[in-house]
Amino acid sequence: MTMTAVTEEIKTEKAAAKSSSGKTLWLLAPGVLWMLLFLVLPLAMMLYVSFWTQTTFKIEPTLTLKSWITFFTSDTYLGALWTTVRIWLIVLAATVVVGYPAALFVGLFVKNKTLQTVLLVLCVIPFWTSFLIRVLAWRPMLGKEGAINMILMKIGIISQPIEVLLFSELSVIIGMTQIYCVFMVGPIAFMLGRIDPSIIEAAKDLGAGFWRIFRTIILPLSMPGVVVGAIFVSVMVLGEFATSAALSGRKVNLLGNIIVTQVGSLKWAFAAVAGVVLTILMGAVVAALLRVVDLRKEL
Amino acid sequence: MSAVLQLSNVVKTYGDLRALDGIDLSLPDDSYVSLLGPSGSGKTTLLRVIAGFEPPEGGTIRFSGKDVTNTPPHERNIGFVFQNFALFPHLSVYDNIAFGLVNRAVDPVTDPKLVDRKVRDMISLVGLTGLEGRATTQISGGQKQRVALARTLVTEPQMVLLDEPLGALDANLRARMRSELRMIRERCGVTFLHVTGSETEALAMGDTVLVLDRARIAQQGDSDTIYNRPCSPAVARFLNCYNLFSGKMADGGFATAQGLLGFQGQPQRAADPAYAIRYDRVDIRPAGAAVTGDEVQIEGTFIASEYTGSAVNAFFSLDDGKVFEVEAHLSHRAPENHEPHRRYALAWKREDALVFA
Repeated sequence: MTMTAVTEEIKTEKAAAKSSSGKTLWLLAPGVLWMLLFLVLPLAMMLYVSFWTQTTFKIEPTLTLKSWITFFTSDTYLGALWTTVRIWLIVLAATVVVGYPAALFVGLFVKNKTLQTVLLVLCVIPFWTSFLIRVLAWRPMLGKEGAINMILMKIGIISQPIEVLLFSELSVIIGMTQIYCVFMVGPIAFMLGRIDPSIIEAAKDLGAGFWRIFRTIILPLSMPGVVVGAIFVSVMVLGEFATSAALSGRKVNLLGNIIVTQVGSLKWAFAAVAGVVLTILMGAVVAALLRVVDLRKEL
Repeated sequence: MSAVLQLSNVVKTYGDLRALDGIDLSLPDDSYVSLLGPSGSGKTTLLRVIAGFEPPEGGTIRFSGKDVTNTPPHERNIGFVFQNFALFPHLSVYDNIAFGLVNRAVDPVTDPKLVDRKVRDMISLVGLTGLEGRATTQISGGQKQRVALARTLVTEPQMVLLDEPLGALDANLRARMRSELRMIRERCGVTFLHVTGSETEALAMGDTVLVLDRARIAQQGDSDTIYNRPCSPAVARFLNCYNLFSGKMADGGFATAQGLLGFQGQPQRAADPAYAIRYDRVDIRPAGAAVTGDEVQIEGTFIASEYTGSAVNAFFSLDDGKVFEVEAHLSHRAPENHEPHRRYALAWKREDALVFA
């Protein structure tokens, strides 16, 4: 009697578990629907359109490889692809070089949690102004008669203004590093803040000096933060067009700029090709970065 | 025995709080020292100052003949076993243990064969054979404790500091690790300074027991002396085996809220006067029982008792509301049944009482 009662109970419990997991699946429905409608469908459409036939004034749904062939035989487009990759790598390295020490300071050496939060909020302050203003503010800073050149000339370090500072690849890199650095600092500071201080004390106690501890303990434990930051920065830099348009004087053409121009002149098929190439590039970069660290294990 | 560690007048403050208030201390070489103190008494601070994680504001620390007061922790050669073990989460058991040998700034071991031999010897000494490749998240609490200890011992420190090393383990494992810690220490021949808040652990483990009270060393001695002859009411209170009455010296005894309590011999000098009687020296009798000349008797109402297997602890409420505890060992007698809310006489011999005045 008791036995049957117990089995009955287990059965009801199982049924309850089943129905509850069925119910919880509904929580996913809005997200899945949203992604299908506004991510997967447009991506498929973009791929489809990239094979359409483009003439000067209109586009027809007749499948052809022409746009793809044009893209991969044109120096302009391949050059843009190469510039995108080069600027991405330089900006990524620059954000790590600038961001890691800052994150190390905030996440590890600032013991006070309130101060830590305040410092991280300070990093975000540039985002309180609009993107355009932030980018354009570099012009009076970097220009031929800009602040930097004026100061350097005043104190007599240079006699001629440095022209390469603005409307060059350098200005694009400076602008992008400044804007995206915070996306590197945040995740790294978060990971560093999670390191138990007694682990570092233990390493000290076992006889290791600071650099040794940094290399063997702090750096490996903060790698997930570096990878997450690198993913943020990569995705944003690879898709960039505004910074390069505003700071390069149209000398630096990224894939994003190509897409903007092509769309502007209604060349949808070319724009779609560039879009597909850019999407594949981002996918490959994110996949490669995720290879570096097993985020599921670390986070 | 020569002293391996000597502290003189060490002071450490946090703002207005004096965490260490002039600590003088000398620890013998090759022995097990336990440091007992209630939470907040400064025991962790003391360990951290000795290890070099916190600089003291005053005083000197001499370690194996050298002044190490201003030496950074990685040059002191003092091992530290953390309460939460602080294992390196990204390294395997083997790499955790090898860390100090390979990475220390002073005299690192560069020969991989020598590292391997030392690490494997240590792994077998602490009984971790077969777990070398495991991640630190895949081992139990007791095994983590062993890794933490092995990681420290393999660097051959001249002294090991253990910060409540058994606090994170369950009771069963704690008892087993106690004897194991003592055994490992004997094989290594170094001094262990073991910090604990548990009086039983301190008494059971230490060849020498230090009692820390209000940022000062209150007493230093062997377990037997500490237990039977605590030098102040505070020490008696931490030992958790004395009923204490406050009051003052009077003619023919010690005046307390329970009346005049008699004692024999000279009272010990202490800042706050108190009368102490051990839980297990008290006899429970029916109320109004006769008293012999060498006995002291008070009355109390029985509240409840607690059966611990080898003993029964009975709790009585005295007339002023104070709780009085009596411990009856069951090796010599069967447990007695007392009726709640009934008055009993509590008697003890004058000579068993300790008086501080």
